[in-house]
Amino acid sequence: MVSRTDAVTRILFEAFSAAEVRLFYLLGYAAIAIFGYGVYVQIRKYRRGAALKLEGGLWARFGAMLSSVLSHRTIERRDRSAGGAHRLIFYGFVLLFAGTATITLEYDILEPLFGIRFWHGQFYLVFSLVLDIAGVALIAGLAFMMYRRGWMRLPKLDYARPDRVPGDPDFDRPQYRREDWAFLWILLIIACTGYVLEAARLVWLQDRADIWDTRWWSPVGALLAEGMRTAGLGERGAGLLRHGLWWFHGLIALLLIALIPFTKVKHIFTAAASLMVRDPLAAQRLPRIPDSQEQVGAARITDFNWKQLLNLDACTKCGRCHEACPARAVGAPLSPRDVILSLREFAKSTLESGVLPDAAELDIHGKAPGQVAMETLWSCRTCMACVEICPVAVEHVPIIVQMRRKLVEEGAMDPLLTKTLQTIHKTGNSFGESKRKRGAWSKALPFPVKDARKEPVDVLWFVGDYASFDPRNQKVSQVFASLLQEAGVNFGILYDGESNAGNDVRRVGEEGLYEVLATANVNALAGASFKSVVTTDPHSYNTIRNEYPDFGGKYEIEHYTTLAKRLFTEGRLQVTNPLKYRVTFHDPCHLGRFNKGYDAPRELLALLGCELVEMGRCKANSFCCGAGGGRIWVPDPVGAEKPAQNRMKEAAAIPGLEVYVVSCPKDLTMFEDALKTTGNEGKFVVKELIELIREAIPARRAEEVPA
Amino acid sequence: MKILVAVKQVAALDEDFAIRDDGRDVDSDFFIRDLNEWDDFSLEEAVKIRESSAEPVEVVVVSVGPDEADESLRKCLAKGADRAIRVWDTCIEYSDSIAIARVLAAVAKREAPNMLFAGVQSSDQSFASTGIAAAALLGWPHAAVVSNLTCTPGANLAVFRRELEGGLLHEVEIQCPAVLTIQLGINTPRYASLRSIKQAAAKPIEVLSLSDLALGAADVGEAGSSSRVRRMYVPDKARAQLIEGDAAQQAARLAQIIHAFKGAAS
Repeated sequence: MVSRTDAVTRILFEAFSAAEVRLFYLLGYAAIAIFGYGVYVQIRKYRRGAALKLEGGLWARFGAMLSSVLSHRTIERRDRSAGGAHRLIFYGFVLLFAGTATITLEYDILEPLFGIRFWHGQFYLVFSLVLDIAGVALIAGLAFMMYRRGWMRLPKLDYARPDRVPGDPDFDRPQYRREDWAFLWILLIIACTGYVLEAARLVWLQDRADIWDTRWWSPVGALLAEGMRTAGLGERGAGLLRHGLWWFHGLIALLLIALIPFTKVKHIFTAAASLMVRDPLAAQRLPRIPDSQEQVGAARITDFNWKQLLNLDACTKCGRCHEACPARAVGAPLSPRDVILSLREFAKSTLESGVLPDAAELDIHGKAPGQVAMETLWSCRTCMACVEICPVAVEHVPIIVQMRRKLVEEGAMDPLLTKTLQTIHKTGNSFGESKRKRGAWSKALPFPVKDARKEPVDVLWFVGDYASFDPRNQKVSQVFASLLQEAGVNFGILYDGESNAGNDVRRVGEEGLYEVLATANVNALAGASFKSVVTTDPHSYNTIRNEYPDFGGKYEIEHYTTLAKRLFTEGRLQVTNPLKYRVTFHDPCHLGRFNKGYDAPRELLALLGCELVEMGRCKANSFCCGAGGGRIWVPDPVGAEKPAQNRMKEAAAIPGLEVYVVSCPKDLTMFEDALKTTGNEGKFVVKELIELIREAIPARRAEEVPA
Repeated sequence: MKILVAVKQVAALDEDFAIRDDGRDVDSDFFIRDLNEWDDFSLEEAVKIRESSAEPVEVVVVSVGPDEADESLRKCLAKGADRAIRVWDTCIEYSDSIAIARVLAAVAKREAPNMLFAGVQSSDQSFASTGIAAAALLGWPHAAVVSNLTCTPGANLAVFRRELEGGLLHEVEIQCPAVLTIQLGINTPRYASLRSIKQAAAKPIEVLSLSDLALGAADVGEAGSSSRVRRMYVPDKARAQLIEGDAAQQAARLAQIIHAFKGAAS
C-alpha cells in the first residue's frame, strides 16, 4: 500500500541551479512565442482568402469533428493498420501531452497562485502508470509507421507526380520524405529519452524510499532502471545522466512545439479544423457564383476561400485520394493529392509573407512549381472518390471545378468540349438533336406516354439526354416506360420542355450555361403537375436533388432503383421468371458515392434472383467509368488505358461472371464500349438493371415489348 | 486603327420544317438562329489583331437584321468586340446580297475603318458576294477567301495568304483600307461563355435606320436588289431500286421498267 504523503510526486527541477531553471523558462517562453508567431502567420494566410459564411451551428460542427478524431473513423478507412498505428500515436501523444500540461497547471499556475496541489500521492502514481503505458503506445505506433514508410513500399506514399516528369523541380519532392522521417524520429526520440530519463532518475534517487518503493508504477522506467543498476550505473553517474538527458529531452520537446505551425506537425490543428468545416455536399452541390461577382472561377490563390486554404494545409499526404483517383489510375496527369500539395506550396510561398505579392504573382494556372496545368484540371472526372476518402475532409472537387471555371471563361479547353457546350446552348442537349425529338423514343411504345405539361401525373420522369437520344439507351427508356405502365404508375415526361439537366455542364465549369439549363428546367417543372420526380440518370438525379433547390426547384425525387424496389414490395411488379445469373454491380458515382444509393440496386438484384458477386472496388470505393465531369464529351488519349477498360478488367476477374449490371445511361455507353475494347465480348454482357427487371417479368402481352 | 466586322445572324433548319406560304423561303418558325460560322473567324481575327497590337485598335461589329440579331451581336461583344451596330428597317426585308452590301458600305463610310472584314459566305444563303460587293461600292481594294493575315496597325499595307489549287499558296499585299473576306480555319475562334454573354448584355447596341445612313427605301429591299428569289423548294427525291434475281429475271424486269417509262413519256 502506498502512503498518501506529499513526498510521492514528480521530480521536476531537483538539483537544478536557479539560473538553469530561469534558462529553461526563458527557452520555454521563446518556443511558445515562436509557436504563437507561426499560428499568426498561418491565420493571416487563411484570412487572405475569400470570405465564406458557413452553414450550421458551431457546436454541432465541433461535435462531429471530435467524434471523427476520437474514433479515428476516417483515418482507419481502407487502411486499418495505418489507422491503428495512428490511434496509438494519437492517444499516446494526447495522454503524454495532457500529463505534461497538468504538471504545468499545478507547478506554474495553481500552486504559486492558489496553493493548490494535486500532483502527488495516489493520483500521481496512477497517472505515472497511465503515462508509461501511453509512452509504449506512442513508440509502438511510431515504430509501425517507420516500418510502413521504410519497408512496405506503398505506392500511395510515393511522392512522384503523374503531372510532372523526372527532372522537374517538384517531381518527387524528397523534402517531403525528409520531413516525414524527421517528424517520426523527433517523436521517437522524445518518447525514448523520456523513459531513459525516468530510469536514470530512479537510479539516481534510489535511496529515497518514496521514489524507489513506488518505482513499479512506472514499469518501463523501473525495468530500465534495473537494467542500468545491473550494468553498474551508480547514483552519481545516474544523476549526471539524468541532468544531461533532462536538457536534451526538454529542448527537443520545446523545438517540436516551436516548429508545429511551420511543419507537417500542424496537421494536429489544421486537420481537426478542416474536419470541423466539412461540407457534406461538397462535390454534390457546387458553389454558385454571386451575380455581383465580376471574376469567374479561381484564377489567383486568393480566389479560394479561407476554408479551401485551410483544406490545403490539412492534407497529410496520406495518398488515399491518389490511390482512389480513376484518372491517376490510368496514367492521366492528375493526382488530387498533388493538386492540393501544389496549391499548398503556392499559398505558402505567396501568402505567408508579410506583404501580399502583386496580383500577377498569385496566378495559380500554369506549369511552374505550385501552379496547376490545364491538362491536370481537365483530367478530372469529378467522380468524388478523392473527397469521399479524404480522412481530413479536404474538398478537392470544388477546388478543381472553380479552377476550370476560369479555363472555360478563357476558352482554354478541348475544341470538342467547346463544340459540345455550344451545341447544348443552342439545342438544349448534347447530341445536337432538335428539341422536338426529345420524346421521340416513346413513339415506338404501344401506349402514349403522357405529357406532364398537359395533364397531371403522379410521377414525373426526368429522362435526361442519354436516355432520350442515344439509340442504345432509348431501348432501355422504352423498357422502363413499359414497366411503369404495367405497374399502373401514372407517369409522364416533359417532352421538348426538358433540357439537359446540367449536372455535367456545371462540373465542366460552364456555370453560366448551367444557370441557363437549371433555370429552364425549373421553369418547365413549374409548368407541370406531378407529385414526385423519378430519374433514370444518376447525373440528372444528383443535380435536381442537390443543386436545383438553389435555383428555387425543390422536389421529392428518387432514382428509378428505389421506385422499382417499392413497386416490387407493393406487389405491383412481380418476378415470374427468376434469373439465375451470376452478376456484379457497378455503383454509378452519382448514385452511390454522391447520394448513398447503394442498397436499392442490390436489393433489386436479390429480388430478381441474381447471385451478386461484388468487385473489390464497390459502393463508396466504386471506380468511375470515366464519363463524369463532362469527360464523356472529350475522347480519352489514344493508346492509353481508359478508366472503363480498367474497370472491365476488374470485372473480368470474377469467375463465371455473366452480367455486369449498371444503372446509369452513361455507364451503359462506356462499359459496352470497354467490353469490346478489352476483348471480353462474349464472356459476359453489360446490362442495365432495367433490362434485367424486364427479363424477370416477361411482358404480359407480346405487343407491350417495344421493337 | 479601326476594324469593322460585318456579321450575320443565320438560320439553321430544324429537323422538320415547312416552306412559307409565299413559297419563297422557309417558315421562320423552324429557324434555329445563330451567328454565321465564317463570322466567328473574321471576328476572332480582328480581336487577335487588337490583342497583339501596342497601339489602340477598335473592333466594331455590324449586322443588318431585325431585333433577333441582337443575340448574335451580344455574342460578338462577349467574344471581344468593342462596339456593335445593327441596321434595320422593315423595307430592308427581301434585300439580296448587293442591297445588303449597299447598307454595309454606308456604315463603312460612316465609321471610316482601316479594314472591313466579312465572312467568305453565309451558311444559310451562300451568295459569297456581300463583302466583295461592299468593296465595289466603296471603291476599296478587296480579297476573297483569306486564310492567313499579317496586319500591323498603322501600316498602310496588309499581307495575306490565300490557298489555291494544287496546294499552292498565294501571298498578296493589299493597300488599306481594304475589304477581306475571311475563310474558315484562319484561327481558332474563342469560346464565349454564357457568363460573358450575359455580361455583354449590358453593353449597348447602336441601332441605325436607313435615314441615319442617308439611304432610302429604293436602295434596299426588292427595289434595291438586282436579283429576286422566285421560289424555294425541296426537290423530288431521285428514285433507285435494286433489281434482284438471276440475269434473265433482271433483264425481264429492266425491259418492263423501260417500257413503262417510255409509255409514261409518250
